Order: sequence, then C-alpha cells, then structure tokens
Amino acid sequence: MKPVISIDIGSTWTKGALFALTDSSLQLSKKIAVPTTQTNLVQGFTEVLASLLNREKLTPLKQMVGKAEIYFSSSAKGGLRIAAIGLVPDLTLQLAKLAAMSAGGKVIRSFSFSLTKSDVAELEKLQPDIVLFSGGTDGGNTKYILENAHKLEDSRLTCPVVYAGNRGVAEEVVEIMKSKEVIVTENLMPEVGQVNIEPAREKIREIFLKRIVNGRGLSEIVELFGSQPKPTPLAVFELVSAIPQFHPDWSDLAAIDIGGATTDFYSNTESYLETDTVILKGIREPRVKRTVEGDLGMRVSARSLLDTGRVYIEDRLRNLGIEPEVMEKFVEKISGNTEYLPETEAEIQLDRILAETCVYYAALRHAGGWKETYTPQGKVYVQTGKDLRRVKAIVGSGGFLAAEGSAEVMRLPLEKLRSFGDEKKLLPENPAFYRDRDYLFPLLGNLVEKYPKEATTLALASLEIASDEGM
Amino acid sequence: MEDKTEREKDTIILGVIGSDCHSVGNKILELFFTAEGFKVVNLGVMVSQQEFVDAAIETNAKAILVSSLYGHGEIDCQGFRDLCIEKGLDPIILYAGGNLVVGKTPFSVVEAKFKKMGFDRVFPPDVDLKKVAELLRQDIQEKFGSDSREAKLDKSIQAKESL
Repeated sequence: MKPVISIDIGSTWTKGALFALTDSSLQLSKKIAVPTTQTNLVQGFTEVLASLLNREKLTPLKQMVGKAEIYFSSSAKGGLRIAAIGLVPDLTLQLAKLAAMSAGGKVIRSFSFSLTKSDVAELEKLQPDIVLFSGGTDGGNTKYILENAHKLEDSRLTCPVVYAGNRGVAEEVVEIMKSKEVIVTENLMPEVGQVNIEPAREKIREIFLKRIVNGRGLSEIVELFGSQPKPTPLAVFELVSAIPQFHPDWSDLAAIDIGGATTDFYSNTESYLETDTVILKGIREPRVKRTVEGDLGMRVSARSLLDTGRVYIEDRLRNLGIEPEVMEKFVEKISGNTEYLPETEAEIQLDRILAETCVYYAALRHAGGWKETYTPQGKVYVQTGKDLRRVKAIVGSGGFLAAEGSAEVMRLPLEKLRSFGDEKKLLPENPAFYRDRDYLFPLLGNLVEKYPKEATTLALASLEIASDEGM
Repeated sequence: MEDKTEREKDTIILGVIGSDCHSVGNKILELFFTAEGFKVVNLGVMVSQQEFVDAAIETNAKAILVSSLYGHGEIDCQGFRDLCIEKGLDPIILYAGGNLVVGKTPFSVVEAKFKKMGFDRVFPPDVDLKKVAELLRQDIQEKFGSDSREAKLDKSIQAKESL
C-alpha cells in the first residue's frame, strides 16, 4: 500500500485528501479542508499536508518530503484570465474561447476582426494573464492578423501572447511583436471547420505553470515534492475526459460545478451525429468540452446571476408564491457576506432557486440546439453547437451541488430548458443524476495523469445517486 | 495546374445556398475543382450567405461558387454582393449556378437578374464544368494577378502599408 495525497488550493478553501493505493485500487483514507491564505498559498498547503500525515500543524514542509506521493492543483483565483482574439466570431473566435476554457481558463473578453483603439485600451486596462491570438486558416487570411499583431505590439500589454492562427504568417507575427513574449503553436482552425485546440491548450497550461509556480510562491512545493500544479478546472476536465476510456458504461457524461463565483459545465459525448435530416452549422465541437460562466455563481456572482437569470428566477418565484423583493434582499445579504450559509427553510429554498438558475443558464450556453426547417426535400433540423442528448449521467460537483441531495435542482431547470425560443435544446434525454458527495472530482483529477484507472474508478464509486424527492 | 503546391493553390468556397439539401452535385463540384488544381473549401448544403462570407474571410478565398437547385436561388442570393462589400470582401469573385429559379424563365433573363445582384458569372445546370474552371482561372488572374503567390505577397505588403 502506498500513500498518495492530492491537494487543491482554492480561492477560499485548501482541500486535501489522503488515498491508499494498492495494486489495483485507490481508497480514500482521510479528507480535510482549511481556509486559504491568499497572501501565502503555501501556508494552507502545509497545514493540510501536516494534518493528512498526522503531523503537528506547523511542521516544516521539508520534514514531510518522501512520506507520500503528492499531487496538487490551484484555482489561481478562478483560473487564468484569458483574452481571446479571433477573426470571424463563429469560427476562429469561437474556437479560441473553447480552447481557453478547456485549458481551465476564464475568458474575460473576446475580440473579432480588427482590434480598435478602444479594444486595445480595454485590453491594457484588463491586463489579462494570457492573450490567445488566432485567426485565419493555414494559408488563409493574413490581413487582419498582421494588422492586429502591430496593434498588440504597440500596446502596453505585458502578458504572454499565444499565437494559434494562420501558420503562414506565424514567423512574421513573431517578428512584428518583438517586444512581447509570443508563443507560437498550431492553428486552432487549420481548415474551415477543422478543430485543433489541443496544442493551444497545452501552451496555456505551460504558461499557467510558470505563472502560478513563480508568481504565487509555489516553487518551494514544486522543488520539494517534484510535482507540478494543475489549474483546478483542468484537473476536473482530465477526469471527465478519462472516465469513458476506463469505464465504457459511462461513455457519455456531463458534470456541473456551481461555485461562489462561477459555474462550470463539462461534457464528454460526441457532439454531432451525422444523419440525412440533421445538418450541422458552424464548427463541430470537441468531444470533451468545458464552458465556464463568470456571471453565474452562488455568492460572489449572485448579483450578476440575478441580472442574467431574471426571467428564470421571476418565473420560479411566481410559481412558489414568493415576492421578488424577498429574493432581492437575500441576494443583497449573500453578496455582502460570501461565506453565508442559509439558515431557514425559506433561505434554503432561495438558495436552491439560485442554483437552478446557474444550471439553467450554464446548460443554455453549453448545449447546442436544433431549429426545424422545411425544405422542398422535407423537414430537416439545423444543428448549431453540441448535441448532449446521449448523455446518460450528470454529476453535480462543487460546493452547492455536492451538498445538495436532491436531483430536482438539476432536473427542473433542464426540463424547463428543453425548448428555448424556436430552438429545441439538445439536452440529455433521460439522464441519471449523481452528486460528488465528498467533492473528490478536483482531487482525483490531479491523479488522473498518473493513475487514470484507479482515479476514475474511485471517482465513480464515490458518486451518490441524487434522490428524486421534490423540494 | 497539378504542379502547384498546397499553399500556392487558389482557395475557392463551394456550397448550396438556402434551405436546399441537394448534396450530390455539390460533392461532384468539390471533386472536379480539386482535380482542377483549386483548394476547395466545401461548406455542403443549406449554407447561409453569412457562412459563405465567414469562410471566405478566414481562408482568404478568391471566389465563392454558389449552387442552388431547388428554384429559390433568387431570394436566397439577394444582397450577397452587398454583404461581401460590407464584410470587406470587395474583390471576391461570385459565381452562381444550378436551377436558379422556378419555372421556364429563359436562361438569359435569369443570368441578367443574377448579374444585377452582383454575381460575376451565372451558369445553367447543363454547363460544361471544364469551361467554368477555365473562366474561373481567367477571372482570378484578372482580379488577383497571374501568380497567386505573388498576389499574396503584394497583399501582405499592402496590408503593412495600410497600417
């Protein structure tokens, strides 16, 4: 038996677990969470590690070297802030956003066609961690790319720029942007409709490592324990990617993680089933996809959730006979006190409505849709985005959904979303709902690279079927 | 034409416009123009004007070849040239072909209509494709210069100068 430890440094909590690894399986032995000290990420890490190893709280890291294999992740305040630049909104820009999110980043702003002066000013003000710069197929457009390269060069941006556009001008782009750190990788869209986001994802991950390790004082951990941190969402992404490879019964799944600031939606299923009557428009999205919504969250983003989700929230309040002001007041209260946990039945209900709203809008943006069109050859469906109909299992993870025992909080908003405007949303048709009760997904995600079979097996074993009782 | 490398080939966009699902002819066109030495981006069936234009921008295409076989081509193609101009694709070559309108309208009338809409050339369903390819090469040469690689270089210099 070998002890394996996984630690996730979140923005509010540093969580850790000790696992026992035998020949073929992984068992959870112990779990703990301590508050994160933002000014010193190593402090929470040390505390968690000491506790998992049954040491004194203030044991120096050095003395714990070699006691267990250690893997860790860090959310870096909600992930890397990425600005995405593409050419056409539905093509390269769409892929740039997908690549950024699938790498565990947050898209803080996106730009298409030529950058304007005010776009550049905004970029300078936002100071993203990374600019993902794409546009043009290989051998395709060069005009916009070279133009934007000059504008970026003349800007006061200091962050690294990942260039994933037309290969034909990659060298020229590097030459133009000589005062910036430009990392060239393969084109996100070498041909129209051809999706190639992996290389860009990999570069973003490398930059994350450099930034978080050097910038946030984690180099000590890396040196002592010889393991590199992952962005937390990437750890979950890798787990969701690996599950079907080792567990064919789970070939099609999705996971939703509602946090205080963001809602993440992961899916692993074929995005388009080609038939004579369904025609795909736009890009064919990748099998594994993550989207993250910065305006949907239970606490830090409760205000923006109320704005985004007004239609859904008002409808639910009306059905339940709750006055809108009650919700307004509650949101005001929790926005001011983001650690707040609901105390009364009424507050629990309000919190649930907020969680449902996160599910509704995160699913709306993640899932594709069909529009019915009549042609002289008969009725056909025009599909845009990703088809989630074959998803058989949806896992609720993250603070709220891990604690919530009822499936209703996910089922109800998804039912309400089946049709949206004149579109039929391509949502899971008859999914089973699970909850990641011990919130192990990020922690097991850290182990996937080394122990894919064991980590995915334990991840599935630790799931609990969400009950069907109504709220 | 076969001696051109992938990068030197002229890119053209193909697709069947509107709510038209006729896919067989579209596949034949793709095979034919590929064999003729073009780099073909085939958008398939039920393609909107916006999709044609988006693909042309990303690929720096020289021509868009619009097919329509179900008789509603006239409505579907209205404003196509205007959209190209709006999107900065002014010099792009636009061809239309197929059963462009319903009924027995003489082809000369159809041709006049589509030319008025800004299409450079219009073809009836029974056109000899060899002839179309020949015309297409001529038109590309006329608008973009004889050697496509030269033309590309010229353009990138222009782009630099315009900054």
